Amino acid sequence: MSSAIVIAVNIALAAFLAVGLTPVFVWWERRVSGFMQDRTGPNRCNIGPIRLGGLIQSFADMLKLMFKEDFTPSHIKYRFFFTIAPVIVFFCSFLTFATIPFADNLVIDGQSFIMSAIPNELGIMWFLAFAGLSIYGIILGGYSSNSKYGLLGSIRAAAQVISYEAALALAIISMLLSYGSIHLTDIVNAQTGTFLGVIPMWGIFIQPIASIIFIVCCFAETNRAPFDIAEGESEIVAGYHTEYSAMRFGLFQVGEYAAMSASAAIIVTLVFGGYQIPWLDTAAVQNNLDYIMIAMIVILPIKAYFITAWMKKNNKSKDVNDKSRDTETKILSIAFWALSLIVALLLATFLIFGLGENGVNIITAVLQIGTFLVKFFMMAFVFIWIRWTVLRFRYDQLQMLGWKILLPLALLNIVVTATFIVVQGS
Amino acid sequence: MGIKVVPRYGKSLKDKLYLPAIFGGMKTTFSHFTKNLKDVNQLKTMQYPEVQPTDLNERYRGVHRLTKWEDETEKCVACYMCATACPADCIFIEAEERFDEHDEKRPKEFKIDLLECVFCGYCVEACPCDAIRMDTGIFSFTASTREEFVLDKKALMANDRSKDLSDD
Repeated sequence: MSSAIVIAVNIALAAFLAVGLTPVFVWWERRVSGFMQDRTGPNRCNIGPIRLGGLIQSFADMLKLMFKEDFTPSHIKYRFFFTIAPVIVFFCSFLTFATIPFADNLVIDGQSFIMSAIPNELGIMWFLAFAGLSIYGIILGGYSSNSKYGLLGSIRAAAQVISYEAALALAIISMLLSYGSIHLTDIVNAQTGTFLGVIPMWGIFIQPIASIIFIVCCFAETNRAPFDIAEGESEIVAGYHTEYSAMRFGLFQVGEYAAMSASAAIIVTLVFGGYQIPWLDTAAVQNNLDYIMIAMIVILPIKAYFITAWMKKNNKSKDVNDKSRDTETKILSIAFWALSLIVALLLATFLIFGLGENGVNIITAVLQIGTFLVKFFMMAFVFIWIRWTVLRFRYDQLQMLGWKILLPLALLNIVVTATFIVVQGS
Repeated sequence: MGIKVVPRYGKSLKDKLYLPAIFGGMKTTFSHFTKNLKDVNQLKTMQYPEVQPTDLNERYRGVHRLTKWEDETEKCVACYMCATACPADCIFIEAEERFDEHDEKRPKEFKIDLLECVFCGYCVEACPCDAIRMDTGIFSFTASTREEFVLDKKALMANDRSKDLSDD
Protein backbone atom coordinates (compact mmCIF):
# COMPACT_ATOMS: atom_id res chain seq x y z
CA MET A 1 0.00 0.00 0.00
CA SER A 2 2.62 2.52 1.09
CA SER A 3 4.85 1.52 -1.81
CA ALA A 4 2.08 2.28 -4.31
CA ILE A 5 1.54 5.71 -2.75
CA VAL A 6 5.26 6.57 -2.80
CA ILE A 7 5.62 5.48 -6.43
CA ALA A 8 2.47 7.39 -7.43
CA VAL A 9 3.71 10.53 -5.67
CA ASN A 10 7.07 10.28 -7.42
CA ILE A 11 5.54 9.81 -10.85
CA ALA A 12 3.09 12.66 -10.27
CA LEU A 13 5.93 14.90 -9.13
CA ALA A 14 8.06 14.07 -12.16
CA ALA A 15 5.15 14.59 -14.55
CA PHE A 16 4.28 17.88 -12.89
CA LEU A 17 7.84 19.19 -12.92
CA ALA A 18 8.53 18.08 -16.49
CA VAL A 19 5.26 18.92 -18.25
CA GLY A 20 2.90 20.65 -15.84
CA LEU A 21 5.27 23.53 -15.27
CA THR A 22 5.37 24.55 -18.94
CA PRO A 23 2.70 27.26 -18.56
CA VAL A 24 4.53 28.58 -15.50
CA PHE A 25 7.83 28.70 -17.33
CA VAL A 26 6.28 30.39 -20.35
CA TRP A 27 4.85 32.92 -17.95
CA TRP A 28 8.22 33.38 -16.23
CA GLU A 29 9.96 33.68 -19.55
CA ARG A 30 7.70 36.52 -20.65
CA ARG A 31 7.42 38.35 -17.34
CA VAL A 32 11.08 38.04 -16.38
CA SER A 33 12.25 39.15 -19.80
CA GLY A 34 9.79 42.03 -19.55
CA PHE A 35 11.10 43.16 -16.20
CA MET A 36 14.69 42.82 -17.38
CA GLN A 37 13.93 45.13 -20.29
CA ASP A 38 11.74 47.55 -18.29
CA ARG A 39 8.53 46.26 -19.88
CA THR A 40 5.57 44.62 -18.14
CA GLY A 41 4.92 41.45 -20.12
CA PRO A 42 1.44 39.90 -20.20
CA ASN A 43 -0.64 41.12 -17.26
CA ARG A 44 -4.19 41.51 -18.53
CA CYS A 45 -5.65 38.03 -18.98
CA ASN A 46 -7.99 37.14 -16.15
CA ILE A 47 -10.70 34.83 -14.88
CA GLY A 48 -12.98 37.14 -12.93
CA PRO A 49 -10.66 39.11 -10.67
CA ILE A 50 -7.93 36.43 -10.69
CA ARG A 51 -4.93 37.32 -12.85
CA LEU A 52 -2.10 35.70 -10.87
CA GLY A 53 0.24 38.30 -12.32
CA GLY A 54 -0.45 37.17 -15.89
CA LEU A 55 -0.21 33.40 -15.38
CA ILE A 56 -3.71 33.02 -16.83
CA GLN A 57 -2.32 34.19 -20.18
CA SER A 58 -0.29 30.99 -20.49
CA PHE A 59 -3.39 28.86 -20.00
CA ALA A 60 -5.28 30.95 -22.54
CA ASP A 61 -2.48 30.44 -25.06
CA MET A 62 -2.47 26.73 -24.34
CA LEU A 63 -6.23 26.49 -24.89
CA LYS A 64 -5.84 28.38 -28.14
CA LEU A 65 -3.18 25.95 -29.38
CA MET A 66 -5.38 23.00 -28.45
CA PHE A 67 -8.47 24.22 -30.28
CA LYS A 68 -6.63 25.43 -33.36
CA GLU A 69 -7.00 23.45 -36.57
CA ASP A 70 -4.41 20.68 -36.76
CA PHE A 71 -3.10 21.65 -40.15
CA THR A 72 -0.68 19.61 -42.28
CA PRO A 73 0.79 21.40 -45.29
CA SER A 74 0.07 19.60 -48.57
CA HIS A 75 3.75 19.32 -49.57
CA ILE A 76 4.53 16.96 -46.70
CA LYS A 77 5.10 13.46 -48.05
CA TYR A 78 5.49 11.44 -44.88
CA ARG A 79 2.75 12.50 -42.53
CA PHE A 80 3.59 9.76 -40.06
CA PHE A 81 7.09 11.11 -39.41
CA PHE A 82 5.82 14.65 -39.45
CA THR A 83 3.31 13.77 -36.73
CA ILE A 84 5.58 11.60 -34.63
CA ALA A 85 8.50 14.08 -34.49
CA PRO A 86 7.05 16.41 -31.82
CA VAL A 87 5.91 13.37 -29.86
CA ILE A 88 9.50 12.07 -29.76
CA VAL A 89 10.78 15.43 -28.52
CA PHE A 90 8.04 15.60 -25.94
CA PHE A 91 8.47 12.07 -24.59
CA CYS A 92 12.26 12.13 -24.49
CA SER A 93 12.32 15.40 -22.61
CA PHE A 94 9.66 14.04 -20.30
CA LEU A 95 11.46 10.76 -19.66
CA THR A 96 14.75 12.56 -18.94
CA PHE A 97 13.16 13.52 -15.64
CA ALA A 98 12.51 9.93 -14.64
CA THR A 99 15.68 9.19 -12.70
CA ILE A 100 16.12 12.51 -10.92
CA PRO A 101 15.94 11.86 -7.16
CA PHE A 102 13.63 14.28 -5.34
CA ALA A 103 14.75 13.16 -1.88
CA ASP A 104 17.02 10.71 -0.14
CA ASN A 105 15.95 7.06 -0.04
CA LEU A 106 12.71 6.98 1.92
CA VAL A 107 12.44 4.23 4.53
CA ILE A 108 8.86 3.23 5.45
CA ASP A 109 8.37 0.21 7.71
CA GLY A 110 11.90 -0.95 6.96
CA GLN A 111 11.32 -0.81 3.22
CA SER A 112 13.54 1.58 1.27
CA PHE A 113 12.28 3.51 -1.75
CA ILE A 114 14.31 5.36 -4.34
CA MET A 115 12.58 8.74 -4.65
CA SER A 116 12.50 9.06 -8.43
CA ALA A 117 9.79 8.40 -10.98
CA ILE A 118 11.41 5.25 -12.37
CA PRO A 119 13.29 3.73 -9.45
CA ASN A 120 16.40 2.35 -11.12
CA GLU A 121 20.10 2.86 -10.63
CA LEU A 122 20.99 3.83 -14.19
CA GLY A 123 20.97 7.45 -13.12
CA ILE A 124 23.13 9.62 -15.29
CA MET A 125 23.19 7.06 -18.14
CA TRP A 126 19.43 7.38 -18.47
CA PHE A 127 19.77 11.16 -18.66
CA LEU A 128 22.46 10.95 -21.37
CA ALA A 129 20.43 8.45 -23.39
CA PHE A 130 17.22 10.42 -23.45
CA ALA A 131 18.78 13.86 -23.70
CA GLY A 132 20.61 12.57 -26.78
CA LEU A 133 17.49 10.93 -28.17
CA SER A 134 15.32 14.05 -28.08
CA ILE A 135 17.44 15.56 -30.85
CA TYR A 136 16.11 12.82 -33.16
CA GLY A 137 12.67 14.35 -32.84
CA ILE A 138 14.04 17.72 -33.90
CA ILE A 139 15.96 16.21 -36.84
CA LEU A 140 12.95 14.17 -37.93
CA GLY A 141 10.63 17.16 -37.59
CA GLY A 142 12.87 19.38 -39.72
CA TYR A 143 13.56 16.66 -42.28
CA SER A 144 9.95 15.55 -42.77
CA SER A 145 8.78 19.18 -43.03
CA ASN A 146 10.11 19.11 -46.60
CA SER A 147 11.09 22.75 -46.30
CA LYS A 148 14.54 24.31 -46.52
CA TYR A 149 14.12 26.25 -43.29
CA GLY A 150 13.07 23.19 -41.35
CA LEU A 151 15.91 21.14 -42.78
CA LEU A 152 18.51 23.85 -42.11
CA GLY A 153 17.25 24.26 -38.57
CA SER A 154 17.42 20.57 -37.84
CA ILE A 155 20.89 20.25 -39.40
CA ARG A 156 22.12 23.06 -37.23
CA ALA A 157 20.54 21.53 -34.14
CA ALA A 158 22.12 18.15 -34.93
CA ALA A 159 25.58 19.66 -35.50
CA GLN A 160 25.35 21.62 -32.28
CA VAL A 161 24.22 18.69 -30.17
CA ILE A 162 26.91 16.41 -31.59
CA SER A 163 29.60 18.97 -30.75
CA TYR A 164 28.40 19.64 -27.26
CA GLU A 165 27.40 16.14 -26.25
CA ALA A 166 31.05 15.07 -26.44
CA ALA A 167 32.14 17.76 -24.00
CA LEU A 168 29.06 17.10 -21.85
CA ALA A 169 29.81 13.40 -21.50
CA LEU A 170 33.50 14.04 -20.78
CA ALA A 171 32.60 16.58 -18.10
CA ILE A 172 30.27 14.02 -16.56
CA ILE A 173 33.05 11.40 -16.59
CA SER A 174 35.34 13.54 -14.46
CA MET A 175 32.43 14.15 -12.06
CA LEU A 176 31.72 10.43 -11.88
CA LEU A 177 35.40 9.89 -11.00
CA SER A 178 34.94 12.17 -8.00
CA TYR A 179 31.58 10.83 -6.90
CA GLY A 180 32.33 7.15 -7.61
CA SER A 181 28.83 6.17 -8.75
CA ILE A 182 26.40 6.63 -11.63
CA HIS A 183 23.36 6.36 -9.39
CA LEU A 184 22.05 9.86 -8.83
CA THR A 185 21.05 9.32 -5.19
CA ASP A 186 24.61 8.20 -4.44
CA ILE A 187 25.92 11.22 -6.34
CA VAL A 188 23.83 13.60 -4.24
CA ASN A 189 24.82 11.84 -1.04
CA ALA A 190 28.47 12.21 -2.08
CA GLN A 191 27.88 15.97 -1.98
CA THR A 192 27.11 16.10 1.75
CA GLY A 193 29.44 17.69 4.23
CA THR A 194 31.45 20.88 4.01
CA PHE A 195 34.92 22.17 3.25
CA LEU A 196 36.39 23.81 6.37
CA GLY A 197 32.91 23.77 7.90
CA VAL A 198 31.68 26.66 5.76
CA ILE A 199 31.45 25.86 2.07
CA PRO A 200 28.96 23.09 1.29
CA MET A 201 30.66 20.24 -0.57
CA TRP A 202 28.73 20.64 -3.79
CA GLY A 203 29.82 19.57 -7.23
CA ILE A 204 30.63 23.11 -8.23
CA PHE A 205 33.24 23.29 -5.47
CA ILE A 206 34.53 19.73 -5.94
CA GLN A 207 34.75 19.95 -9.74
CA PRO A 208 34.53 23.63 -10.75
CA ILE A 209 35.76 23.24 -14.33
CA ALA A 210 33.67 20.16 -15.05
CA SER A 211 30.67 21.92 -13.52
CA ILE A 212 31.02 24.97 -15.73
CA ILE A 213 31.51 22.83 -18.85
CA PHE A 214 28.52 20.73 -17.84
CA ILE A 215 26.27 23.77 -17.30
CA VAL A 216 27.33 25.34 -20.62
CA CYS A 217 26.71 22.06 -22.48
CA CYS A 218 23.32 21.68 -20.81
CA PHE A 219 22.36 25.07 -22.21
CA ALA A 220 23.42 23.83 -25.63
CA GLU A 221 21.49 20.55 -25.15
CA THR A 222 18.25 22.44 -24.55
CA ASN A 223 18.69 24.55 -27.69
CA ARG A 224 18.16 27.73 -25.74
CA ALA A 225 19.94 31.04 -26.08
CA PRO A 226 22.89 31.65 -26.31
CA PHE A 227 22.95 28.37 -28.25
CA ASP A 228 19.65 28.70 -30.11
CA ILE A 229 20.97 28.49 -33.64
CA ALA A 230 18.36 25.81 -34.40
CA GLU A 231 15.94 28.71 -34.59
CA GLY A 232 16.55 32.18 -35.91
CA GLU A 233 13.91 34.49 -37.28
CA SER A 234 16.25 36.48 -39.47
CA GLU A 235 17.97 33.47 -41.01
CA ILE A 236 15.76 30.40 -41.12
CA VAL A 237 12.36 31.61 -39.92
CA ALA A 238 11.43 29.38 -36.98
CA GLY A 239 13.93 26.63 -37.75
CA TYR A 240 12.83 23.03 -37.33
CA HIS A 241 9.22 23.84 -36.41
CA THR A 242 8.54 26.25 -39.26
CA GLU A 243 5.85 24.03 -40.80
CA TYR A 244 4.19 23.12 -37.53
CA SER A 245 1.10 24.66 -36.04
CA ALA A 246 -1.56 24.01 -33.41
CA MET A 247 -0.88 21.34 -30.80
CA ARG A 248 2.01 19.77 -32.74
CA PHE A 249 3.83 23.05 -32.37
CA GLY A 250 2.56 23.09 -28.79
CA LEU A 251 4.18 19.72 -28.18
CA PHE A 252 7.49 21.07 -29.50
CA GLN A 253 7.17 23.97 -27.12
CA VAL A 254 6.26 21.78 -24.17
CA GLY A 255 9.20 19.53 -25.10
CA GLU A 256 11.50 22.56 -25.11
CA TYR A 257 10.43 23.61 -21.64
CA ALA A 258 10.48 20.01 -20.41
CA ALA A 259 14.07 19.81 -21.66
CA MET A 260 14.80 23.01 -19.75
CA SER A 261 13.23 21.54 -16.60
CA ALA A 262 15.17 18.31 -17.00
CA SER A 263 18.43 20.18 -17.55
CA ALA A 264 17.79 22.40 -14.54
CA ALA A 265 17.05 19.32 -12.43
CA ILE A 266 20.14 17.42 -13.57
CA ILE A 267 22.32 20.50 -13.03
CA VAL A 268 20.94 20.86 -9.52
CA THR A 269 21.48 17.16 -8.86
CA LEU A 270 25.03 16.94 -10.17
CA VAL A 271 26.40 20.37 -9.37
CA PHE A 272 24.38 22.08 -6.64
CA GLY A 273 23.91 19.28 -4.16
CA GLY A 274 20.50 18.03 -5.33
CA TYR A 275 18.00 17.64 -2.52
CA GLN A 276 20.61 18.30 0.19
CA ILE A 277 19.70 21.15 2.50
CA PRO A 278 22.95 23.16 2.74
CA TRP A 279 25.00 22.23 5.82
CA LEU A 280 22.45 19.56 6.86
CA ASP A 281 22.68 15.97 5.61
CA THR A 282 19.81 13.50 5.91
CA ALA A 283 20.82 12.17 9.31
CA ALA A 284 21.27 15.69 10.69
CA VAL A 285 17.81 16.66 9.42
CA GLN A 286 16.24 13.60 11.05
CA ASN A 287 17.97 14.26 14.38
CA ASN A 288 17.14 17.97 14.49
CA LEU A 289 13.67 17.80 12.94
CA ASP A 290 12.03 19.57 15.91
CA TYR A 291 14.25 22.65 15.54
CA ILE A 292 13.70 22.76 11.79
CA MET A 293 9.94 22.59 12.30
CA ILE A 294 10.07 25.40 14.87
CA ALA A 295 12.13 27.48 12.43
CA MET A 296 9.57 26.83 9.70
CA ILE A 297 6.66 27.81 11.96
CA VAL A 298 8.44 31.12 12.57
CA ILE A 299 9.47 31.71 8.98
CA LEU A 300 6.18 30.89 7.22
CA PRO A 301 4.10 33.84 8.55
CA ILE A 302 7.01 36.20 7.84
CA LYS A 303 7.08 35.00 4.24
CA ALA A 304 3.30 35.34 3.95
CA TYR A 305 3.58 38.87 5.35
CA PHE A 306 6.18 39.90 2.77
CA ILE A 307 4.25 38.38 -0.14
CA THR A 308 0.99 40.06 0.85
CA ALA A 309 2.74 43.38 1.47
CA TRP A 310 4.34 43.16 -1.97
CA MET A 311 0.97 42.40 -3.57
CA LYS A 312 -0.71 45.27 -1.76
CA LYS A 313 1.93 47.65 -3.06
CA ASN A 314 2.19 46.42 -6.64
CA ASN A 315 -1.11 44.83 -7.59
CA LYS A 316 -2.96 48.02 -8.45
CA SER A 317 -4.81 49.15 -11.50
CA LYS A 318 -4.09 52.55 -12.98
CA ASP A 319 -7.82 53.04 -13.33
CA VAL A 320 -9.17 54.29 -9.98
CA ASN A 321 -12.62 52.81 -10.66
CA ASP A 322 -11.24 49.34 -11.31
CA LYS A 323 -11.47 47.42 -8.05
CA SER A 324 -10.84 43.93 -9.51
CA ARG A 325 -7.15 43.94 -8.63
CA ASP A 326 -7.87 44.97 -5.07
CA THR A 327 -10.31 42.06 -4.86
CA GLU A 328 -7.64 39.75 -6.20
CA THR A 329 -5.13 41.02 -3.65
CA LYS A 330 -7.66 40.32 -0.89
CA ILE A 331 -8.42 36.80 -2.13
CA LEU A 332 -4.76 35.89 -2.59
CA SER A 333 -3.77 37.42 0.77
CA ILE A 334 -6.38 35.28 2.51
CA ALA A 335 -5.17 32.24 0.56
CA PHE A 336 -1.52 32.81 1.46
CA TRP A 337 -2.23 33.46 5.13
CA ALA A 338 -4.53 30.44 5.35
CA LEU A 339 -1.94 28.22 3.67
CA SER A 340 0.89 29.33 5.94
CA LEU A 341 -1.30 29.04 9.04
CA ILE A 342 -2.49 25.54 8.08
CA VAL A 343 1.07 24.36 7.50
CA ALA A 344 2.23 25.99 10.73
CA LEU A 345 -0.62 24.37 12.67
CA LEU A 346 0.15 21.01 11.10
CA LEU A 347 3.80 21.34 12.10
CA ALA A 348 2.76 22.44 15.59
CA THR A 349 0.60 19.32 16.04
CA PHE A 350 3.53 17.21 14.87
CA LEU A 351 5.71 18.96 17.44
CA ILE A 352 3.25 18.47 20.28
CA PHE A 353 2.21 14.87 19.62
CA GLY A 354 5.54 13.70 18.27
CA LEU A 355 6.21 11.67 15.16
CA GLY A 356 6.84 7.99 14.71
CA GLU A 357 9.89 6.80 12.84
CA ASN A 358 7.93 6.73 9.57
CA GLY A 359 6.67 10.23 10.25
CA VAL A 360 10.20 11.58 10.76
CA ASN A 361 11.33 9.95 7.53
CA ILE A 362 8.36 11.30 5.56
CA ILE A 363 8.77 14.85 6.91
CA THR A 364 12.49 14.69 6.06
CA ALA A 365 11.62 13.57 2.53
CA VAL A 366 9.09 16.42 2.18
CA LEU A 367 11.69 18.92 3.39
CA GLN A 368 14.22 17.56 0.91
CA ILE A 369 11.69 17.71 -1.92
CA GLY A 370 11.08 21.33 -0.94
CA THR A 371 14.80 22.07 -1.01
CA PHE A 372 15.11 20.37 -4.38
CA LEU A 373 12.21 22.43 -5.71
CA VAL A 374 13.74 25.69 -4.47
CA LYS A 375 17.06 24.89 -6.13
CA PHE A 376 15.27 23.67 -9.24
CA PHE A 377 13.25 26.85 -9.63
CA MET A 378 16.33 28.98 -9.04
CA MET A 379 18.17 27.06 -11.76
CA ALA A 380 15.19 27.44 -14.12
CA PHE A 381 15.31 31.17 -13.40
CA VAL A 382 19.00 31.15 -14.29
CA PHE A 383 18.12 29.52 -17.61
CA ILE A 384 15.67 32.33 -18.37
CA TRP A 385 18.04 34.96 -16.99
CA ILE A 386 20.89 33.77 -19.25
CA ARG A 387 18.60 33.70 -22.25
CA TRP A 388 17.69 37.35 -21.87
CA THR A 389 21.23 38.48 -21.10
CA VAL A 390 23.67 36.74 -23.39
CA LEU A 391 23.87 37.28 -27.13
CA ARG A 392 23.55 34.40 -29.56
CA PHE A 393 26.67 32.66 -30.79
CA ARG A 394 27.38 32.67 -34.49
CA TYR A 395 27.57 29.18 -35.95
CA ASP A 396 31.37 29.08 -36.32
CA GLN A 397 31.91 30.63 -32.88
CA LEU A 398 29.67 27.97 -31.43
CA GLN A 399 31.63 25.11 -33.00
CA MET A 400 34.90 26.83 -32.05
CA LEU A 401 33.83 26.99 -28.42
CA GLY A 402 32.63 23.41 -28.38
CA TRP A 403 35.54 21.66 -30.09
CA LYS A 404 38.50 23.91 -29.36
CA ILE A 405 37.81 25.01 -25.81
CA LEU A 406 35.29 22.86 -23.96
CA LEU A 407 36.40 19.48 -25.30
CA PRO A 408 40.16 19.85 -24.57
CA LEU A 409 39.33 21.42 -21.22
CA ALA A 410 37.09 18.47 -20.32
CA LEU A 411 39.79 15.97 -21.37
CA LEU A 412 42.42 17.82 -19.35
CA ASN A 413 40.07 17.86 -16.39
CA ILE A 414 39.64 14.08 -16.59
CA VAL A 415 43.42 13.57 -16.56
CA VAL A 416 43.90 15.92 -13.61
CA THR A 417 41.01 14.36 -11.66
CA ALA A 418 42.18 10.81 -12.35
CA THR A 419 45.75 11.65 -11.35
CA PHE A 420 44.54 13.30 -8.18
CA ILE A 421 42.38 10.33 -7.24
CA VAL A 422 45.13 7.79 -7.96
CA VAL A 423 47.71 9.79 -5.99
CA GLN A 424 45.30 10.28 -3.10
CA GLY A 425 44.60 6.56 -3.23
CA SER A 426 40.90 6.69 -2.48
CA MET B 1 43.89 64.54 -41.01
CA GLY B 2 45.19 62.09 -38.46
CA ILE B 3 44.51 58.41 -38.38
CA LYS B 4 42.11 57.26 -35.69
CA VAL B 5 43.19 53.95 -34.25
CA VAL B 6 40.15 51.94 -33.23
CA PRO B 7 40.91 49.82 -30.18
CA ARG B 8 40.40 46.10 -30.71
CA TYR B 9 38.98 44.06 -27.89
CA GLY B 10 38.78 40.33 -27.36
CA LYS B 11 42.48 39.42 -27.24
CA SER B 12 43.06 39.58 -23.49
CA LEU B 13 42.62 36.53 -21.31
CA LYS B 14 39.69 38.13 -19.49
CA ASP B 15 37.86 38.67 -22.79
CA LYS B 16 38.66 35.18 -24.02
CA LEU B 17 37.26 33.60 -20.89
CA TYR B 18 33.79 34.96 -21.79
CA LEU B 19 32.56 34.33 -18.26
CA PRO B 20 33.47 37.71 -16.68
CA ALA B 21 31.59 39.52 -19.45
CA ILE B 22 28.63 37.17 -19.10
CA PHE B 23 28.48 37.73 -15.34
CA GLY B 24 28.71 41.48 -15.93
CA GLY B 25 25.74 41.31 -18.26
CA MET B 26 23.81 39.13 -15.85
CA LYS B 27 24.41 41.65 -13.10
CA THR B 28 22.93 44.41 -15.25
CA THR B 29 19.80 42.49 -16.22
CA PHE B 30 19.30 41.28 -12.66
CA SER B 31 19.51 44.82 -11.27
CA HIS B 32 16.78 45.85 -13.73
CA PHE B 33 14.73 42.80 -12.75
CA THR B 34 14.89 43.44 -9.00
CA LYS B 35 14.27 47.16 -9.41
CA ASN B 36 11.13 46.52 -11.42
CA LEU B 37 9.96 43.62 -9.26
CA LYS B 38 10.20 45.74 -6.12
CA ASP B 39 8.13 48.51 -7.60
CA VAL B 40 6.11 47.69 -10.70
CA ASN B 41 5.24 51.36 -11.18
CA GLN B 42 8.79 52.06 -12.31
CA LEU B 43 8.15 50.22 -15.56
CA LYS B 44 8.29 52.37 -18.63
CA THR B 45 5.23 50.72 -20.19
CA MET B 46 2.20 52.99 -20.36
CA GLN B 47 -0.85 51.08 -19.16
CA TYR B 48 -3.15 52.05 -22.03
CA PRO B 49 -6.19 52.39 -21.94
CA GLU B 50 -6.20 53.29 -18.23
CA VAL B 51 -3.42 55.79 -18.89
CA GLN B 52 -3.86 57.95 -21.97
CA PRO B 53 -0.98 59.58 -23.81
CA THR B 54 -0.38 63.20 -22.83
CA ASP B 55 2.22 64.13 -25.42
CA LEU B 56 -0.06 65.02 -28.33
CA ASN B 57 1.13 68.22 -29.98
CA GLU B 58 -0.14 70.79 -32.43
CA ARG B 59 1.13 68.84 -35.44
CA TYR B 60 -0.52 65.56 -34.49
CA ARG B 61 -3.10 64.56 -37.10
CA GLY B 62 -6.14 63.03 -35.42
CA VAL B 63 -9.72 62.56 -36.65
CA HIS B 64 -10.99 65.54 -38.64
CA ARG B 65 -13.41 68.20 -37.51
CA LEU B 66 -15.29 70.94 -39.30
CA THR B 67 -14.71 74.35 -37.74
CA LYS B 68 -17.63 76.60 -36.90
CA TRP B 69 -18.53 80.29 -36.78
CA GLU B 70 -19.63 81.77 -33.46
CA ASP B 71 -23.28 80.96 -34.31
CA GLU B 72 -22.45 77.25 -34.56
CA THR B 73 -22.76 77.13 -38.37
CA GLU B 74 -20.06 75.61 -40.53
CA LYS B 75 -17.24 77.66 -42.05
CA CYS B 76 -17.08 75.26 -45.00
CA VAL B 77 -18.10 76.78 -48.33
CA ALA B 78 -18.21 73.45 -50.24
CA CYS B 79 -15.45 74.45 -52.67
CA TYR B 80 -14.33 70.82 -53.11
CA MET B 81 -10.65 71.75 -52.63
CA CYS B 82 -10.17 69.15 -49.92
CA ALA B 83 -11.92 66.42 -51.89
CA THR B 84 -9.70 67.28 -54.88
CA ALA B 85 -6.52 67.23 -52.82
CA CYS B 86 -7.41 63.99 -51.08
CA PRO B 87 -5.09 61.21 -52.31
CA ALA B 88 -7.35 58.53 -50.84
CA ASP B 89 -10.61 59.87 -52.32
CA CYS B 90 -12.32 59.57 -48.98
CA ILE B 91 -14.12 62.94 -48.82
CA PHE B 92 -17.63 63.15 -50.27
CA ILE B 93 -19.28 66.59 -50.44
CA GLU B 94 -22.75 67.53 -51.60
CA ALA B 95 -23.18 71.30 -51.96
CA GLU B 96 -26.27 73.46 -51.57
CA GLU B 97 -27.10 77.14 -51.61
CA ARG B 98 -26.66 79.12 -48.40
CA PHE B 99 -28.82 82.02 -47.36
CA ASP B 100 -27.23 83.47 -44.19
CA GLU B 101 -24.74 86.36 -43.86
CA HIS B 102 -21.59 84.13 -44.00
CA ASP B 103 -21.53 82.74 -47.52
CA GLU B 104 -23.56 81.74 -50.51
CA LYS B 105 -22.65 78.04 -50.58
CA ARG B 106 -22.55 75.34 -47.92
CA PRO B 107 -22.15 71.56 -47.82
CA LYS B 108 -25.47 69.78 -47.56
CA GLU B 109 -23.57 66.69 -46.64
CA PHE B 110 -19.88 66.27 -45.85
CA LYS B 111 -18.66 62.69 -45.40
CA ILE B 112 -15.21 61.32 -44.59
CA ASP B 113 -14.62 57.60 -44.82
CA LEU B 114 -12.06 56.95 -42.08
CA LEU B 115 -11.34 53.47 -43.39
CA GLU B 116 -10.07 55.03 -46.64
CA CYS B 117 -8.44 58.06 -45.04
CA VAL B 118 -4.63 57.93 -44.74
CA PHE B 119 -4.46 60.90 -42.34
CA CYS B 120 -2.06 62.78 -44.61
CA GLY B 121 -3.48 66.19 -43.75
CA TYR B 122 -3.67 67.42 -47.37
CA CYS B 123 -7.33 68.40 -46.91
CA VAL B 124 -6.31 70.72 -44.07
CA GLU B 125 -3.56 72.22 -46.25
CA ALA B 126 -5.90 72.65 -49.19
CA CYS B 127 -8.77 74.35 -47.35
CA PRO B 128 -8.91 78.09 -48.16
CA CYS B 129 -11.32 78.85 -45.30
CA ASP B 130 -9.69 77.00 -42.39
CA ALA B 131 -12.89 74.96 -42.32
CA ILE B 132 -11.40 71.51 -41.82
CA ARG B 133 -8.84 70.69 -39.19
CA MET B 134 -7.26 67.56 -37.70
CA ASP B 135 -6.55 68.88 -34.22
CA THR B 136 -9.11 66.79 -32.30
CA GLY B 137 -6.40 64.60 -30.80
CA ILE B 138 -8.54 61.50 -31.41
CA PHE B 139 -5.92 58.88 -32.26
CA SER B 140 -7.96 55.74 -32.00
CA PHE B 141 -11.35 55.68 -33.65
CA THR B 142 -13.18 52.40 -33.20
CA ALA B 143 -16.45 51.06 -34.52
CA SER B 144 -18.04 47.69 -35.11
CA THR B 145 -19.37 48.12 -38.66
CA ARG B 146 -17.93 49.63 -41.83
CA GLU B 147 -20.78 52.13 -42.04
CA GLU B 148 -19.95 53.61 -38.66
CA PHE B 149 -16.51 54.60 -39.92
CA VAL B 150 -18.05 57.05 -42.40
CA LEU B 151 -18.36 60.30 -40.48
CA ASP B 152 -21.08 62.69 -41.65
CA LYS B 153 -21.28 66.43 -41.27
CA LYS B 154 -23.01 66.25 -37.92
CA ALA B 155 -20.36 64.00 -36.43
CA LEU B 156 -17.52 66.07 -37.89
CA MET B 157 -19.01 69.28 -36.50
CA ALA B 158 -19.51 67.66 -33.10
CA ASN B 159 -15.75 67.08 -32.81
CA ASP B 160 -13.91 69.74 -30.88
CA ARG B 161 -10.34 70.86 -30.62
CA SER B 162 -8.38 68.63 -28.26
CA LYS B 163 -8.38 69.81 -24.67
CA ASP B 164 -4.68 68.91 -24.42
CA LEU B 165 -3.80 71.60 -26.93
CA SER B 166 -3.58 75.26 -26.08
CA ASP B 167 -6.42 77.52 -27.26
CA ASP B 168 -5.48 79.54 -30.33
